[in-house]
Amino acid sequence: MRVRGWVLDRWPAPKPFDFQVMPGELWMLVGAVNSGRRELIRSLAGLVEPRAGRLELFGRDVARLGPRARARLHRRIGVVLEQPGLVPAWSVFENLALLVRYHRLAPGGAVEDYVVEFVESCRLPRAILSRLVSDLSPLESQWISLLRALVIRPRLLLVSAYLPQETLVAGYGVWAFFAEVVEPMNMAILVDAGPQALPVGAETRLLVMDEGTLLAAGRARELAEHPDATVRGQVRFDHA
Amino acid sequence: MAATTPARGWRSIESLGQAAIRLLSGVLEELDFLAVVLMSAGSMPRGEWPFLIRHIWQQIYFTAVQQAYLFTVVGAIIGVLTAFPLIVFRIEDPHLLGRIMHIMMYHQLNPILATLFVAGLSGAAITAELGELRANQAIEHLVAMGVDPHSFFVLPRLIGMALSLPILVLWLNIGVTVGAAAMLSIYQNVPPTVFFRMCLAGLSHGSLALTGGMVVMQAIHVILVQTSRAFRVGAYVDIPRTLPSAFARSFIGCLIITLLFSLVRYG
Repeated sequence: MRVRGWVLDRWPAPKPFDFQVMPGELWMLVGAVNSGRRELIRSLAGLVEPRAGRLELFGRDVARLGPRARARLHRRIGVVLEQPGLVPAWSVFENLALLVRYHRLAPGGAVEDYVVEFVESCRLPRAILSRLVSDLSPLESQWISLLRALVIRPRLLLVSAYLPQETLVAGYGVWAFFAEVVEPMNMAILVDAGPQALPVGAETRLLVMDEGTLLAAGRARELAEHPDATVRGQVRFDHA
Repeated sequence: MAATTPARGWRSIESLGQAAIRLLSGVLEELDFLAVVLMSAGSMPRGEWPFLIRHIWQQIYFTAVQQAYLFTVVGAIIGVLTAFPLIVFRIEDPHLLGRIMHIMMYHQLNPILATLFVAGLSGAAITAELGELRANQAIEHLVAMGVDPHSFFVLPRLIGMALSLPILVLWLNIGVTVGAAAMLSIYQNVPPTVFFRMCLAGLSHGSLALTGGMVVMQAIHVILVQTSRAFRVGAYVDIPRTLPSAFARSFIGCLIITLLFSLVRYG
């Protein structure tokens, strides 16, 4: 994903910025409240229009694509927003299978196996598939929302949600889940997880935002010595 | 004082003009939404066809099949109520009775009543369901992951409702005819077979086609109003606010459609 001259649609107009995220890279958005992290994720997901800028996804300029080609491109993007966004009247299985069927990721008869295999690879109990979404707790819903974004095996994952530190399996942390399940999928990942974000280590890639623009991008240890105090203030190491 | 009266007149004209502009812009918005929905049908991926068919069947089942008994019973009661004034005024001529039935009930009142029910039952359910999906960001998630909300959420409901409403009007017509026939048979000694024959005699292919077209337009209008209103929901708190306004707007629109079709038919 490559972003050029990106200007978020807010007033006053923020400074344009560029950045790129390559496959296999995990970037975390950090910044104060109202710094534009949420708007950035939403604009990259195509939910809001930026004021200006060009977005290249998988080597293609999104602005030059027709609606059908753009929809095809979006099939390869997994998105998790602030709210889980599941269909409450459906079971977990139906919610996970929706995009698999819609994008024809598995033949009709093999959808169930596809979803079950995926859920088991995420160390989740198979029994959760038969539960109704309306019966899930907020934490469970948020995890199922993340799984729905991952079940399509996206090439780009955009997360703008509070991810709890623990997964649905006791003792299996979110960091371990990302390291074991998500990162091997070799996708580009952009996470805005708020103040309770994924743990930041010295080698974590950070995008520091302020007032709707990107102040700095780089590894946490480099940004910790950045000349701008605002950037330094956003870089906190949770673990070494 | 002399200056005030023309000023009031101008204000009245201005407010009338504003009302007309609001009405026109509402119609244009609805047509625009319809065009978007129809265009989305052209760009549907192959994977969406099973969903489209399944959701159309679900819509028909919930609207036309599940409500069939209700419509027939309501129709029978309305038929009885319709027969009372005919009995009071001692209208016994079967030809006149048949004409009253098909002009007043089949082509005008029954479609309006069916629309009233559908807008209140299925329409409100659709607005609440889609409103909830908007409020919990489900629609935004699916859009961002390549699902077209218009072809996925609106098109099956549009087709399902366009097929269901004529069936419901038919149930209502059957109920009304049976109810009225029973009352007229008891109090006026009009044989039911004669009454049924007279009711059917007034129905021409042209009048049926016109009524069918009117009912389909009403169904499309109800779905467009309810879904477009649901798509504007921003938070859960908006859903209870949206339901009554969507119902009122879809029902008033259906009344206007009936009026326009009646003008074409009789005017």
